[in-house]
Amino acid sequence: MTNDVIREAVAKQQSGDRKLAADNSILGKVMTFNIGEQVYGIEIQYVTEIIGMPRITKVPHVPNYIKGIINVRSKVVPIVDIRTRFGKPEIPYTSRTCIITLNFNDIAVGIIVDSVADVEDIHTGDISATPQNKNVNENEFIQYMIRGENDNTKLILDVAKLLDEQEA
Amino acid sequence: MAKIESGMEAMLDMYFFETNGLLEQLDEILLRTESAGAFDGDDIKEIFRIMHTIKGSSAMMGFDNLSVLAHKAEDMFFVIRENPDVITDVSFVYDLVFQVSDSYKAQIEALQNNVNGEYEQMNFDELIDKLIKARDKLTSEASGDETAAGGSAKASEAAGGAAGAAPVKGDGKTTVRVFFEDGCQMENLRAFLLINTIRDECSFLEYTPDDVENNAETSKEIIENGFVVSFTANDGKDDYVLKLIESAMNVQSYEVLTNAPEAAASAAEAPKAELPPEPAKETLKTEKPAAPKAPAKPAPAAEEKSAVEKAQAAVANANSGAAQKQSLISVNLAKLDALHDIVGEIITTESMVISNPDLEGLELESFNKAARDLKKLTGELQDTVMSIRMVPLAGVFQKMNRIVRDMRKKLGRDVDFVLEGEDTEVDKSIVDNLQDPLMHLVRNCMDHGIGEEDPETRKSLGKPEKGTIKLSAQSSSGEVIITVSDDGAGIDPERVMAKAKKMGLLTKPEGEYTEREIQNMILLPGFSTNEVVTEFSGRGVGMDVVKANIEKCGGQVLVDSKKGQGTNFIIKIPLTMAIIDGMEIMVGGLVFTVPISTIRESFKVEPGQLLNDTGGKEMIMIRGVVYPILRLHEKFAIDTEVTDLKDGILLLVETDNKSMCIFADKLIGEQQVVVKPFPKYLARYNIKGEGLSGCTIMGDGSISLIIDTNLLIG
Repeated sequence: MTNDVIREAVAKQQSGDRKLAADNSILGKVMTFNIGEQVYGIEIQYVTEIIGMPRITKVPHVPNYIKGIINVRSKVVPIVDIRTRFGKPEIPYTSRTCIITLNFNDIAVGIIVDSVADVEDIHTGDISATPQNKNVNENEFIQYMIRGENDNTKLILDVAKLLDEQEA
Repeated sequence: MAKIESGMEAMLDMYFFETNGLLEQLDEILLRTESAGAFDGDDIKEIFRIMHTIKGSSAMMGFDNLSVLAHKAEDMFFVIRENPDVITDVSFVYDLVFQVSDSYKAQIEALQNNVNGEYEQMNFDELIDKLIKARDKLTSEASGDETAAGGSAKASEAAGGAAGAAPVKGDGKTTVRVFFEDGCQMENLRAFLLINTIRDECSFLEYTPDDVENNAETSKEIIENGFVVSFTANDGKDDYVLKLIESAMNVQSYEVLTNAPEAAASAAEAPKAELPPEPAKETLKTEKPAAPKAPAKPAPAAEEKSAVEKAQAAVANANSGAAQKQSLISVNLAKLDALHDIVGEIITTESMVISNPDLEGLELESFNKAARDLKKLTGELQDTVMSIRMVPLAGVFQKMNRIVRDMRKKLGRDVDFVLEGEDTEVDKSIVDNLQDPLMHLVRNCMDHGIGEEDPETRKSLGKPEKGTIKLSAQSSSGEVIITVSDDGAGIDPERVMAKAKKMGLLTKPEGEYTEREIQNMILLPGFSTNEVVTEFSGRGVGMDVVKANIEKCGGQVLVDSKKGQGTNFIIKIPLTMAIIDGMEIMVGGLVFTVPISTIRESFKVEPGQLLNDTGGKEMIMIRGVVYPILRLHEKFAIDTEVTDLKDGILLLVETDNKSMCIFADKLIGEQQVVVKPFPKYLARYNIKGEGLSGCTIMGDGSISLIIDTNLLIG
């Protein structure tokens, strides 16, 4: 989703206009997954597939959150551990740990997540902008949030930033 | 913004392909003839043909500005062609035609970047104006000379062209039946184009079907019965009009139905399938539609036979010509890419089957034989697929000629431009990525290298007055090395350092930079030491673009320069899908592949062979020669239990006369591997610089990292 769509959705809710605020059309779908207690989401158009943990080949001279490369049907895909990327402590991989492979602008990357949760619709009325608090490491990778039941907020990842970040 | 006509999108690719090819041909002819100092007749004809084809196809695609431009250029060459002996000074023509060629390229690029069919239409009025002036100038020159020398006969004789017969004045009409290539589509429009092409040259013109312009239904009729044109050419130049028809787009063959009698001799000799000439009065227009093979009735029997034979021979010739044409096909690169991927996977899967762990310890005589056969076949398949994608560098190299030519003119400095190893073949995708970087480098050599030394300085340094730029390519162990070198001013490390300091590009104390590192700083973004920004270089974009482009196709750029002696830019690019024979070695839990071509031997360390130098570095003495030892687990920071040199194994590797020993845990075995580049996402990390050239998928599906022995040693 583009930032404009998100801004528009947020603006609708805050407009005070009841008619606009009641707009609850479906904007797309997200795949949600867990890292610890927190639920994250990735818009479904970026997701290629979910695979179990294969053997990962380490690659030297890369940051610690890049765990290495794997072979997905003769394609070599780099693997990023989202936990480590967000500065969270590493935990041992379990049987529920899996890799979600993503594709953005022909850049393919697999991310390691604690477990995959669900696929759900994005409703206009549930979208909220990220807090402007940039000192949390992971915040820069969150594009927007979706409010769920019981204040269960899902953080939607900005795939473009996650995959395309320019770091020397 | 103009819009590409709907329905034409499907033909755009073909148009680009064809036109770009023609433009390259044009450039090549121009460069060749310019250095030779003169056009010869064939060259002019070729240029004329190119312009003509471009004109036709551009008009068909609805790119009017391009069509007009080509038309005017064609006009100009027409004058030159018609008066080969009188027009001697054509130097100003070169610049014009180069401009035309450039304008074309620019417009085509704009077209290629079209968004939903919208593109920017360029205005060529100025250039067209120049072309018209040039033509008029040539015409007046030609006619002036002609009357003086009375050479009009000569001129028109040349117009007679390959047929070699003097043109004739025909009172009668010439009727021709034209067939277009099978499946070329929109025959009616092509017919209309044909008419437009010859209209200017004819005093009388009639054609059936006569409503081709706006009646698409006529296509069918044209396919079945051909397109019949009757014309009377201006000044009796029927041959010329026939030539025009022959060279028009998509014309497969034509036959002369009626002809002005005197032209018969030349018509019979014309290369395309033609029927024997017949008296002008007999109009075949209304005769049986299947006329092509009908012999000429009024001719005497003996003559008839020979005429038929002749016609048949001509048809056979035309057919064999057509067959030759089809021995080359153009294929969408995406399809080749897919094929290339599949073959890579087949080879991996093949090793998975043949060296499957389940088979271990089994006696499988017939399986092994079948496996060997399969291996041989897949090997051949792979070689073939690779060779399909390989193209020589000559095309890109030739384009550099053009850059040098332009720079020579602009800078007013003469240089020798030397090409070497143009026949080196590289994967098509790499060639496409090479053009821009090479262009920048050649420009840099001209501008910064040669341009900064005036001839006097060069003389005083003992160098020849004329600078030399050399572009060379060679393949060496799985990669292609392209060198762009000049014998100019070279890079002044002090100036580079000062500049880098000013720009805040230093990342460590000044004193710690080696000369090589300093030189390579010119590849950093935003770096340009040239104080004066010229048209060609010095804008601070360029060198980093070169670096980025080369890295995109998995290569490397190195700078090697000596102040006052010149600069070498060395580009190393891999042959994609290079298959290498590799030795698999284990370090910690990781498997690495070392190209076998670089391994001299592998051995266990014996006590007493080991030495330490004063810095504590480990060395080994083998047969009286001392080699340094590189521990892979240290180099790549891998945890392993094998840290004692005596427990593991050493590989003696050698490249470019440099050798060293690599220490690994153990050898696994030999395997042929398909080199895959690292994923794009990892491109930002300097993995390649650390001595790993790529990775490969092994028989069991796991991944092995390929060691770049060159880098490891260097």
